[in-house]
Amino acid sequence: MKELEKVSSNLTFDHGELLARVDNDRELLHDLLTIFKEEFPRHLQALREAVDSGDGKRVAVAAHGLKGMLLNVAAGQAAAAAGRLEQMGCRGEASGFQKAFLAFERDAMTLLPQLDACMAEVH
Amino acid sequence: MKILIADDELISRRLLQKTLERAGYEVTAVENGRLAAEQLCPPEGPRLALLDWVMPELDGPGVCREVRKRNVQSYVYLVLLTSKESKGDVVAGLESGADDYLTKPFDPEELKARLRTGLRVLNLEDRLVEAREQMRFQATHDGLTTLWNRGVIVDLLRRELERSRREHVSTAILMCDLDHFKSVNDTNGHLAGDDVLRETAKRLLSSVRSYDFVGRYGGEEFLVVLNNCNPAYALARADEIRKAIAHFPVQTSSGPVSVTMSLGLLLSHEWGCLPLEELLQQADAALYAAKAAGRNCVKVAMPKIVPGGPALQAHEPLRMRR
Repeated sequence: MKELEKVSSNLTFDHGELLARVDNDRELLHDLLTIFKEEFPRHLQALREAVDSGDGKRVAVAAHGLKGMLLNVAAGQAAAAAGRLEQMGCRGEASGFQKAFLAFERDAMTLLPQLDACMAEVH
Repeated sequence: MKILIADDELISRRLLQKTLERAGYEVTAVENGRLAAEQLCPPEGPRLALLDWVMPELDGPGVCREVRKRNVQSYVYLVLLTSKESKGDVVAGLESGADDYLTKPFDPEELKARLRTGLRVLNLEDRLVEAREQMRFQATHDGLTTLWNRGVIVDLLRRELERSRREHVSTAILMCDLDHFKSVNDTNGHLAGDDVLRETAKRLLSSVRSYDFVGRYGGEEFLVVLNNCNPAYALARADEIRKAIAHFPVQTSSGPVSVTMSLGLLLSHEWGCLPLEELLQQADAALYAAKAAGRNCVKVAMPKIVPGGPALQAHEPLRMRR
């Protein structure tokens, strides 16, 4: 875990919180990150399609699911971006979907390599 | 302790499962609300559950409502786990029947503490149910023999007579009395007398069918109700009971004690629609006839017309010492 702590600055997820959540169980952390890596692209694609459709309800549901996943890996910044999309979806603010989605995607793209690095460390 | 986790999000499920397994719970995890309700609604299902709010098929509050609708004895402690956090959501969640509410992402220590609260509630509920059942048992059973008490056995007889009248079948009433029980107490002591009463109860129960009723009617007097039975069976069963009591001595704290029993038998269909109290009187009269005939025997209450008297009358009550 020492190695992980060295790279904790500038991370878009809370490394300490994530470790606490799994009770310092490296195997579990690896499992969760593996699941995240496998599941995230499918959820992201569902959100993208929902945004393109302009259907607020679909956007809210897809964003809600992503928010939950991101909160579980202590990725507060990306989770907050997903939360904003969820709220916009609930309110039916279709005109802002694309812009909010791009912001979310940017956060997510920053996060993913950091989680990959974390995963490599705990393996 | 069994616990159910219902969450459509795989990372959440995995994290919750591992956290709770570490805490000693036996975890079942499902991915939608419908499966959760199916697991929780049977009486033997888990009594603790963590339910995500937003789920396919049925959401968390929907699961709460389904669980609360069922009419079974054991309580299920339900915790909603969701990233929703507005006050309106909390109220809606609790109104649906949830006991508690936790916001995602959960803190493991808070989660475990909240579940311990749930366990305390379930434990308290168990103790209350146990106390209620104990009181119910005490109110309906005889403390010494654990047979039905007098009030209950008479009530069961009343219902059985009503049913037998509706269905045109016969119910047999057996009024049973241990012979010379006073001398058992006087010679061997009351503790031995209690042993005899307990053993008599066991032998009575083992001599009848599972759906017949046996109750303690008085001190050494028992009432047996044989449901839906024909006269030949009733008489044979009464004699089997008599033999079961007399067959071998009762082992008591004062040594073996031999006892016998006299029985008065009444078959309901022969007595028309007489009131219950009168039927009991007639069964009692038959019992006295058995006593008069030398005890350790069965006498059947026989209806007969008495000019100018009651429509039906059996043996003259013989108020001899039992």
